[in-house]
Amino acid sequence: MKIQTVKCCRLSVLLLFLLLPFSLFAQEEGTWKPASPSSQAYHEYRLKNTIPPYGLVKIKALIAQIKDSEDDSRSSLNQKAYLALSLNEKFTYHMIHAESYSQNCDAVPPIIDEDKKIFGTLPDAFNESSWSERQANFLKSQKDAVVSLIKESVNRSKRVGLNYKTALVEMNATETIPFLIEQYNRDHKDFDILTVLMLLMKNNEYKPFMMSASFIKLYGAKSDAQSFINYNKANEELIISRAMAFYNGRK
Amino acid sequence: MAGSKILLFWLFSLLYQQAIGQQDTSFVRIEQGDYSLGGKTHQLNPLRKVHIQTFCIAATELTNHQFKAFIEATHYITDAERLKNAMVFEPGLDEFKWLEDSTACWKYPNGKSRGGIEDKMNHPVTSISYSDARAYCTWAKVRLPSLDEWEAASRAGASTLYFWGNDVEKIGEYANIWHGRNHKVADASDGYLYTSPVGSFKPNAYGLYDMYGNVFEFCEGTLRTDPKDRKLAHARGGSWWCSKNACGFFNSLDIGRVSPHASFSNQGFRVVKR
Repeated sequence: MKIQTVKCCRLSVLLLFLLLPFSLFAQEEGTWKPASPSSQAYHEYRLKNTIPPYGLVKIKALIAQIKDSEDDSRSSLNQKAYLALSLNEKFTYHMIHAESYSQNCDAVPPIIDEDKKIFGTLPDAFNESSWSERQANFLKSQKDAVVSLIKESVNRSKRVGLNYKTALVEMNATETIPFLIEQYNRDHKDFDILTVLMLLMKNNEYKPFMMSASFIKLYGAKSDAQSFINYNKANEELIISRAMAFYNGRK
Repeated sequence: MAGSKILLFWLFSLLYQQAIGQQDTSFVRIEQGDYSLGGKTHQLNPLRKVHIQTFCIAATELTNHQFKAFIEATHYITDAERLKNAMVFEPGLDEFKWLEDSTACWKYPNGKSRGGIEDKMNHPVTSISYSDARAYCTWAKVRLPSLDEWEAASRAGASTLYFWGNDVEKIGEYANIWHGRNHKVADASDGYLYTSPVGSFKPNAYGLYDMYGNVFEFCEGTLRTDPKDRKLAHARGGSWWCSKNACGFFNSLDIGRVSPHASFSNQGFRVVKR
């Protein structure tokens, strides 16, 4: 009887030992994994806009008036007030306020290991808003002046905000490629600058990039708005050298 | 010969889809219980168990026919009609780009130039905002589902990304989505460029139609990332605009966000009994 009990206990221990790794694994399978603090911090960093100084107090007051009006659903400055703004003031207005709406699924949620990834697209610069047609037209029609103001502001703040990156892509500002690389090389932290370089190459159908493995992964048949390549030195150098070759080959 | 057979089959499928698309909203009872919601790595929708009380959710999205009854009874003016800033789509636009159209509203979902809803009364109402959806609910004495209720209903007991598993290739059986590589060229390969009649595709195991695709469905609730200083609306399930290469939100996991006054032609809702 005693021997049987011991055997039974041994068998139970053996069974428990055999089952343990599986039950631990099952528990792991069912556990939510939060992004690391550095990944979360990088997500916040990616979403930061740069606030231009030109007429900032006046523009903030005008935006506050739109938002304080009885109808909280309006988001555009009236045409008369808009046209009365100087070019520099218009620049500030556009960089801190978007008049139109962003679609429900434009939202880019934080993801695991965001700080180790180079994405194919930029997040939304203005949350649930985006530039209206007149705002997009302004950026394109005043491209040289806007690029000049962005450069001036970046040289002062040492940061290319998400709003500036979005504007550079919107304006197809390929002439800023060396400037962007210079900014990236300051600290090699802002991988979204590499994203801007790739978007400029893609939007201008630069063949050597379009035939690359990175292009297929980021913009190919199986890609989506959250596609990424892992950050590593080789990928970084390849993007920069391709972007410079594209820049030098422009007509 | 083979070509004409394919054409006949396609025409038959289209007629069949339109025939079953005539049905109107009925309600499906979802029993109270502990539901497994969220995903293991999803940062906005973490994997968790949630207790949900019994609720009855519409089998289909709310139709133009039903919304028209509300407008006729109340003379309600939608956000799109008031603000004249509805967002519409036409093929040829870059990814995630929409056009603002002052003529668009629920009666002309993509603007007057792209046609009205006269022959689309059994399609989901669109080009309405979250505020408009809530106004309808108040009038009809119903409510929007919570984010959790919507997910429990869409999953129909499944714990996978889609209610049938994880294979995205099956999406065409269950949902009206965009099948094109991008939005530069029109895609009506599933029979529909924009919305389809409600109930045109296969339902989930609970008998709920169009939980994915057709229109994004407004829900009640907030996310931890919502700003403190302004209200956001959240909608789920993807839409006719969504594609594998763009947003891909036609699943039980993702949750979007939009201004409560924004009117897009891929937004709608389904209701829950109070």
